[in-house]
Amino acid sequence: MRFAYYPGCSLEASGREYDMSTRAVFEALGVELEEIDDWNCCGATAAYSISDTLAVALPARNLALAEEKGLDVLAPCSECYHRMRKAEYAVRNKPGMKERLEKAFEGTGLKFTGRITTRHPLDVIVNDVGIDAVKARITKDLNGLKVAPYYGCVIAKPPEVVGFESVENPTSMDVLIEAAGARALPMSGFKTRCCGGPVLITREELALGLTSGILKEAMEEGADCIVTPCPLCGVMLDAKQKAAGVEAEIPVLYFTQLLGLAMGIKPKRLGLDKNFVPTDRVLEVVSG
Amino acid sequence: MLPDVIRLKECDPSFVREVMEAGGQGVSACFACGTCVAGCPTVEAMDHPPRRLMRMINLGMREEVLASDTVWLCASCNTCNTRCPRGVEIPNVMAAVKSIAIREGVQPDERVAPVFYQEMVDSMVRYGRLFEPRMMLMVSLRSGQGVEGLMKNAPLGLELFKKGKLPLRPHRIKGTKQLKTILENIRTMEGGK
Repeated sequence: MRFAYYPGCSLEASGREYDMSTRAVFEALGVELEEIDDWNCCGATAAYSISDTLAVALPARNLALAEEKGLDVLAPCSECYHRMRKAEYAVRNKPGMKERLEKAFEGTGLKFTGRITTRHPLDVIVNDVGIDAVKARITKDLNGLKVAPYYGCVIAKPPEVVGFESVENPTSMDVLIEAAGARALPMSGFKTRCCGGPVLITREELALGLTSGILKEAMEEGADCIVTPCPLCGVMLDAKQKAAGVEAEIPVLYFTQLLGLAMGIKPKRLGLDKNFVPTDRVLEVVSG
Repeated sequence: MLPDVIRLKECDPSFVREVMEAGGQGVSACFACGTCVAGCPTVEAMDHPPRRLMRMINLGMREEVLASDTVWLCASCNTCNTRCPRGVEIPNVMAAVKSIAIREGVQPDERVAPVFYQEMVDSMVRYGRLFEPRMMLMVSLRSGQGVEGLMKNAPLGLELFKKGKLPLRPHRIKGTKQLKTILENIRTMEGGK
């Protein structure tokens, strides 16, 4: 199994530990990742606020580069994953978009026909690698660590664009948490509620209120840590705890970091020293 | 603000088509049920809830829609469109309105978001990837936040730096020329956006 790896801007900066742990876990699972040479930003929430064609063309350049290699794309960042899938969907289904993209690509030598698609690591691990193969690689008991799975907004929405997960109650991370010997908490009503990240710059208080709701739910359910597949949610939940008015600190990990620990990968390789809230509490349970 | 009386004669019936052509296809299918409002995480801060904004677009209240801060507060969480019984891609409609407002240089009360999106796209095309230090500097300068804005974001920047998670130099990809060509092609296609 082999993928064209698309880290995206966040995984080079605030989400570096997500990049490190994704690479480490996929190597351990025997899945090859070949980073897309010279990839560009997916456009995030900005490109479509400027032009709907630009919002397709930016991800499509990366898709075109991957298509040349004949590989499906693997994108860990929820927003990148969502934007790439949305671009594919528009090229395949939106009247006139294929032609507009061809015009946008004129003079660049780029071509995207829609032969390949974009996958999220959660989807690949649960549905391609399979839970049994994951279980076979678990070497460390997570000793019933209580984990709050927080999925964020766009990994499952809208279903016709992304669609490997249940919209209101996603379970792929829950399944992995349980496979790793930890306990997945319900996070009732909060699994896919917005973390506030996209409005942090414009309305800080509003954003932090949303962050605070998720943190409080996790704490009330007695979580030892939160796990997430999104680098923006990661920053909000991890770096903004004090600002969100939450007194006690709770570690926030990328799901690949937790899975990597259970697979016996060294904490340093998983970037566990890069999370804002110290992850010692999690490491203690794992090694204890 | 909404006028007490909506005068249809003063509305622009071509506006809904303009929004649809800018990427907001499907907005005319809205039957104002309000499911979007029920699930919206940022609605409390909006001057017009999404349901009303869709109605205003369909009625052709161009000026009021472009001046509204609603579109700038959309978190693009995709909850509304996922639940919409009419299949309206509300975030796309919001984005289409944003693109028209930016193109026309409308100055909404919301000063930061329009500049933020423009600076993000500038970074994407200039370097090929986001370079946050420059982006945040430009946003502070251009949105009128000035030093205060910079100071507000400085603590997070410092924390990221300490963790080795804030690159101080931009990574310029080889394909920036391709990106410039793409942007120029789109500008030509969309008439000087």
